[in-house]
This record gives sequence, structure tokens and C-alpha cells, in this order.
Amino acid sequence: MIDQLKYEIEEKPVFCSGHNACPGCGEALAIRYILNTMGSNTIAVIPPSCIAIISGHQPYSSMRIPTYQTTLEASAASATGMKRSLIRQGRGDVNILVIAGDGGTYDIGIQSLSGAAERNEDMVYVCLDNEGYMNTGSQKSGSTPYLASTSSTPGGKPTEKKDIAEIMAAHRVPYVATATIGYPDDLARKVAKARDMKGMRFIVCLTPCLAGWGIPDDAAVRVSRLAVETGFFPLYEVEDGEHYTINRGHTGLPVERYLETQRRFKHLDPDQIATLQGQVEHKWALLQARTKLECEPHPEYLTR
Amino acid sequence: MSAPTTEIRTQWTTSFTDELTTGTWRAAIPVHAYKPSPCHVACPVSNGMPGWIKAIGEGAYQQAWLSLVDTNPFPATTGRVCHHPCESECNRTVLEGAVGINGLEHFLGDQALAAGWALPPAGESTGKRVAVVGAGPAGLSCAYHLRRLGYDVTVLESREKPGGLLRYGIPEYRLTEEVVDKEIQRIVDLGVEIRTNAPVADPESLERLRGEYDAVFLAVGAQRAKRLGHLDDAGGPARVIDGLEYLRRSSAGEDLGLGQRVVVIGGGSAAIDVARTARRQGKSVTLMSLETRNIMPAQDEEVFEALEEGVTLVDGAMAASATLTEECLNLECTLVTLDTEAPVGVLRPMPVEGSGFAVEADSVIMAIGQDPDLTAFAAVPAAGGGTIQVDMASGATGLPGVFAGGDVASQYRYVSAAIGAGRRAAWGIAASLGHPSAEVLPHLDLKQAVQKEEINAFYFPPAERTEKERTGAAERLLGFAEVAKAFSVDQAAHESARCMSCGLCVECDNCFVFCPDTAIKKDADRPEHYAILEQYCKGCGLCVAECPRGAVHLEAVAR
Repeated sequence: MIDQLKYEIEEKPVFCSGHNACPGCGEALAIRYILNTMGSNTIAVIPPSCIAIISGHQPYSSMRIPTYQTTLEASAASATGMKRSLIRQGRGDVNILVIAGDGGTYDIGIQSLSGAAERNEDMVYVCLDNEGYMNTGSQKSGSTPYLASTSSTPGGKPTEKKDIAEIMAAHRVPYVATATIGYPDDLARKVAKARDMKGMRFIVCLTPCLAGWGIPDDAAVRVSRLAVETGFFPLYEVEDGEHYTINRGHTGLPVERYLETQRRFKHLDPDQIATLQGQVEHKWALLQARTKLECEPHPEYLTR
Repeated sequence: MSAPTTEIRTQWTTSFTDELTTGTWRAAIPVHAYKPSPCHVACPVSNGMPGWIKAIGEGAYQQAWLSLVDTNPFPATTGRVCHHPCESECNRTVLEGAVGINGLEHFLGDQALAAGWALPPAGESTGKRVAVVGAGPAGLSCAYHLRRLGYDVTVLESREKPGGLLRYGIPEYRLTEEVVDKEIQRIVDLGVEIRTNAPVADPESLERLRGEYDAVFLAVGAQRAKRLGHLDDAGGPARVIDGLEYLRRSSAGEDLGLGQRVVVIGGGSAAIDVARTARRQGKSVTLMSLETRNIMPAQDEEVFEALEEGVTLVDGAMAASATLTEECLNLECTLVTLDTEAPVGVLRPMPVEGSGFAVEADSVIMAIGQDPDLTAFAAVPAAGGGTIQVDMASGATGLPGVFAGGDVASQYRYVSAAIGAGRRAAWGIAASLGHPSAEVLPHLDLKQAVQKEEINAFYFPPAERTEKERTGAAERLLGFAEVAKAFSVDQAAHESARCMSCGLCVECDNCFVFCPDTAIKKDADRPEHYAILEQYCKGCGLCVAECPRGAVHLEAVAR
């Protein structure tokens, strides 16, 4: 028999309708599965970002849990303080969940995040990655892909996207994962897995931005799947900084199938597309190689 | 004395956003609605495939069959001989190939015959009577639907048994007489009276029927074979015979003494049937058609099987003249091209200069089509091509109270087309007789069907198409045993799971899963299974884009 795809995702009613996200927003869809998987025994920490807008203008909230809107650079630090305080109060069972954008993660929030990761603070940190400062007019961020056009790099970004999953994995935290909205079951599974672990758990979730990327209202899911299928954004997990599992990735589909769906790549010439294809192939090969690197722990080395 | 204190609020949020309304943002709203699948629209009998194919997948065979016979009372027959335009239009051709709809129909048809399932009962009597002239697929289909609509039906058949072309025109190896008998018996069991050896041979008989019955349906088929005069003149009736007559007499077990070398002329299914029957009688058979193989009206698989059985195909050719020698008929042939300027449906061959060749034949069988014999129906206005003029939707002719359908009224000469014409005429007759719930059936256009672009291929993992198993060519030539086997239960399950159910919601929940506003609610009480929460829906269309099968669409909101 043939299995036709049918998603069975258990949701708890945390994220509310009536929020302020644009019609068809990929980020709102991600927030739905993150919050509704984390459940109500959770406090959210949110820096300035589209997520802050979506979480509701005062006195309204779209999240049926306590939320704390912190400063752009301080998400991980705020989360650290809150968790430690909760532990002190004997309420260490409450989940602390950071939901930050890529600006607040890759760039402005990276020092507090790196410090919290080094100390293995107990939190689930989710970066909703729309590859730019989309909330303030689509400026480039450290996450913007090479050659993508933004309002501050109209001719195409001259530098490559930072690899935040590898940065976090290099901190040897218990759990790092990539996810995207085109695979909501995979996203929900990773959030649930992170929720049930201890220490720093980090998920970067690709969330296409309709206005910033230049895609139609109904395309966020399709485009996010193309990102995976072309190898532009493979879905994988890293445990303890060294155990790699690839969930979904390059199916052999040319990267052009992904690029052609978006206005931010419309200016690319064939040579540039070939360069991006080459980058994808190289990174995909590297990722696959990492899954095969298995090394017995040294007897004198104590892992966390 | 303590300093005055200010209370710090611990909770700043007073409400949740689900009190708010974001529905005012939208310019369009999704609507869950059945949209016909292309197979449904392409089907001459207007069969709703996705519904009964889904039921096969659930193992509910009888329910599936009842859905099938709601339009077509002959599934075991059409499951064997239909030219299946449904498969040509199947949206799954964008993946590995069309769903084997004909094979599934064959499977269900045989399940029903084995289990002895009865057709849905006759409708409440209207007290009115209808005469059907001709017990072929069109006439019996019309009789069946009229009976279900509550009419008393009498079918008048000129031959000794009912079935028409099904019995006398299709060889046993494609459609057995047993299947035809059983499927007709089910219609008789509904209370349809079939009078055999009852020809309507003259205009007075038709007039008498008009007086005795409330309506008359003419479905006498096309019995008069087309001939080529120059071959008749050269060969005479002993050497040049007509294909339908040949099939009829062969199926009755008669040996026509044709000699060893048989040339069959024609490019349709009947020509292939003649050629393959002659091969089973041990003849050397050459099939000559004006059309080249790629445009022959016969189904591709029939031509393929004929070639497997050793028929020699000479396509794109004609026998320009013939001379009779003592031993045989000498056909002087030439290759031809077809005039592209000729009107649609007309073949105008143009000889290719210098391509002449000769073929020796002990006999020639003509299978180049038939014309209806309209002698008895002179009072009914005729159309240009020698058929009765009818309104395609209702089957009504120019003579009040007289309807017609099938080969007598159409050049679209397929079994399923005849069954469909009978069904449309039954509803047309009922509407004309003032039936309270019958209307002329609407015409569906392929443009109204779910288009290939509406299919989200991501949700359909690859799965190879199942073909019917067929006996090997050598074994086939030993007799008239059936060539194609019905699907096994496993094959039917696999093939039904390949159906993408275009336009028919299967409650996969994708619309619900991918809504960023959680503005779709599952609602088992609604026939469409989901409710749109109008307070929240922003009209983004993600539900439509992620519906695998085009079962939800956007409608613009008036401002």
C-alpha cells in the first residue's frame, strides 16, 4: 500500500487567532507549532522582532502564557535570569522558551546567546530565521544568504550567510536542530524533543517572509520545502555537538528552482546561480561527511 | 514612618487577541467544495470516479459498486471494453502515469457478478410507459435509468437475444457472453420487459409505438456496413464480406470458409476485433488502415495485442483497385497520406506516388464503419451524416415524444458513449414527461475540472501504475479465452491508493494544519468537513495551495 501523507500533530491551545501577522506569514505558522507543542507550563522571552508584533500589542496577547519582551541583545541573558529565579523559587519545572528573530540571534543577541550556551543554561531557544531585518524594512542580517537583495544590499549581499547551527553546535550544547514550516510534523517533533531535554536546546527554523523575500501570500510553505529539497536549508539535528542526524535534505533539485520563486534573487545571472549551486553542493557534502564522523569518547574526557 | 508605596502591576495583559477580528483584512475567502475530477468530466457516462475508488481503498466494494452503477449499469462490461478517456485525462499523468481506472472498474464489476449484487431498486411508479427500440448498450442503459425513475419500460429487440453490439459485435476473448448475460439479467430483474424477435421495421410500427407509449427511445445502433464498391465489384459476396456480420457469425460458431489469406480493411476497434478473431481461426491476417498507427481510432493496447498475435499491420495504405484471379483476389495497394484540409471526421486519402504494392487475399473483410438503417424512422428528422438528429443533452429528436441515442444518433461510436447517451435520454424523457425530480442532465466541460496545476504533487509519493495481467500471445491464439485478467484484491488496493481524489476532500487536514491563523476548524457535522472561522481568516490562500487535490478554492470577497 502507498502511504499518502497525513499530518498528525498534537496541539495544546496556547497560540491565539486574531494576531497581527501578515496573511500567509510563515513565522506565524512556526509560532503556532512551537507554542502549541511547548504547552502552557512555559514562559516566553521575546526580543524586538516580528515575533514581538505577532505576540500582541498591549494590552492584548496572542499567547496564553506569560511573555516577557526583553531587549534585542538580551534574550538569552533574560532567559538565564528567569530560569535561575524560577529554580530558586522551587518552580524549575517551568519551561523557558526564547523565540527570537535572526537579527536578535545571529547578530545583536549573539554574545548573550554564546555566553548562555557556554554555561549550558536551561532553556529552549528558537530562532525564527527569515534571513533579514524584515520587521524594520528588510535590511540584511548576518543570516541573509549570499547574493540576496535586501534594502541595504540592493545589488545582492556580498558575504555568505553565517551558519548559526554550526556556531551553536561548536558550543557542544545538548541539542541543535534545523527545521522549517514546510514540514510541520518535523518542527513539532523537534520542539517536543527539545522541551523534554535539559540544558541549552537550540532550534533554527526557516520562516519565509512574504514581503522581504518577494513571494505570494500562499507560497511560504512551498518555498520552505524547496529550500530543503534543493539543499539550500537541510533539516538536521546535532546532539552534544558531534552526533549528526540528517532528517531531510538535497533531493537533487537544482537550487534555481528555489531561487526563481523569490524576488530577492531575481537579479542573479547564470554564473551567480552556478556559484550558489556550488556552495550548496559543497555544504551538503560537508554535512553528510559530518554524519559519518563517529569518534569513541576519550576515557579521560567527561561530557556533560 | 514608612515611605508611601506604589503597587506594581504584575499583569499587563488584559485580553487575548482571539477577541479581535482579522477577517476584515481579507480580499478572498476559502471555500471547501467538490469540484469534478477530469476523469469524471471525461467519462461519457459521467461517472464519479474519486468517490468509488476511495471506497475500494476502504474495502467497501459493494458501496463502491453501487456508486458506480448509479450512472453505469454495465461495469463488468465497460471494465473490459471501455476506451477509458478517463485515464487519458487523469491528473496523475503528471507523475508516473494515469490511475488504472478501467482495471478498477473491471475488478468491481467482477466482484458484483461473483457476489450477485442487485442494482438499486426501481423508482416509485409514475404510471407512465416508455418503449425502447433496441436492446444494445444505449437502449438497456436508457431502460435501466427509466426504470429507476419509475417508468414501465418495454424494450423491443429485433434479434433473438438482447445485448446488441455487446453480444454480437465484440469477440469472446474481450467480453464473454456470460458477463453480458449476467449484467443484462440484473436489469431484467428490476422489472424491465425485453421482447426479443420484435423488430420495428416500418414507419407504421413507430407510429403505433408513439400511440401506445408515452415516449419512445430509438437505439437501434448502426447495422448497415459501409462498403468499398470497387472491391465488391471485383471480389463479389463470396470473397468480400462485412466485419460485423463476420463477428456475429463467428461468435455463433459458424465457419465462413474464408481461405487462408485474409485482409481486413479498417482502423477502428471493430477492425482489430475482426483481425484477431481471424487469427484465432488460424488465418494469415493483414490489417490495412488508412490511418497510420499513431492516429488509428482503435485503442493503442488493442493494436499492440493484435501485433503480438501475429497480425501484419499495413498502416497508412489503401487498396486502390482489385482483380480476381482463379486463386485469389489481387489487391493493388498504395501508401497514402491523409488530407489535412478535409473536414473533421472525414478521411480523404491522397496516394503517395510510386508507392504501389500488391497484396494477395483469399478474402477481404470490410470493417470501415457502419451507417444506421433509418428506413423505419423516415418520420424522424435526420442529421447530415446518416444519423438521427438529436439534442445531445436530452436525446430529443425533431419528432415529439421520440428520443434517440447511441450509434443511431452519433458518430462517437463507443460502448460507453452509447451507455451515456441512454442515461441522458432517460433523464431527458423523464423531464419531458413532467417527472417531479428529473431534469436534463448538465453538460460538464473539462475546463470545470480540477486542473493539473491544482494538484500539489508533494503529497503523492511515487507509485507505479498497475496493468491488467494478460495471457501470452501463443496461448491466446489457441482459442477465445479472455485475454485480460481482473485485478487481484491487492492490485486493486494499490491502484485505488494511487488515485489523488481530485476535487474530492478526503479529510487529510492539510488546510487545517497549514493555517497560520488557526482559522479553519475541523467539523465532522458538515458535509465539507471543515468550517472557515470568518472572524480570523485573512484570505492568504495557504490552505488552497497546500490542498493536495483542489478540494478548496478561494472566492473573492465583495467590498
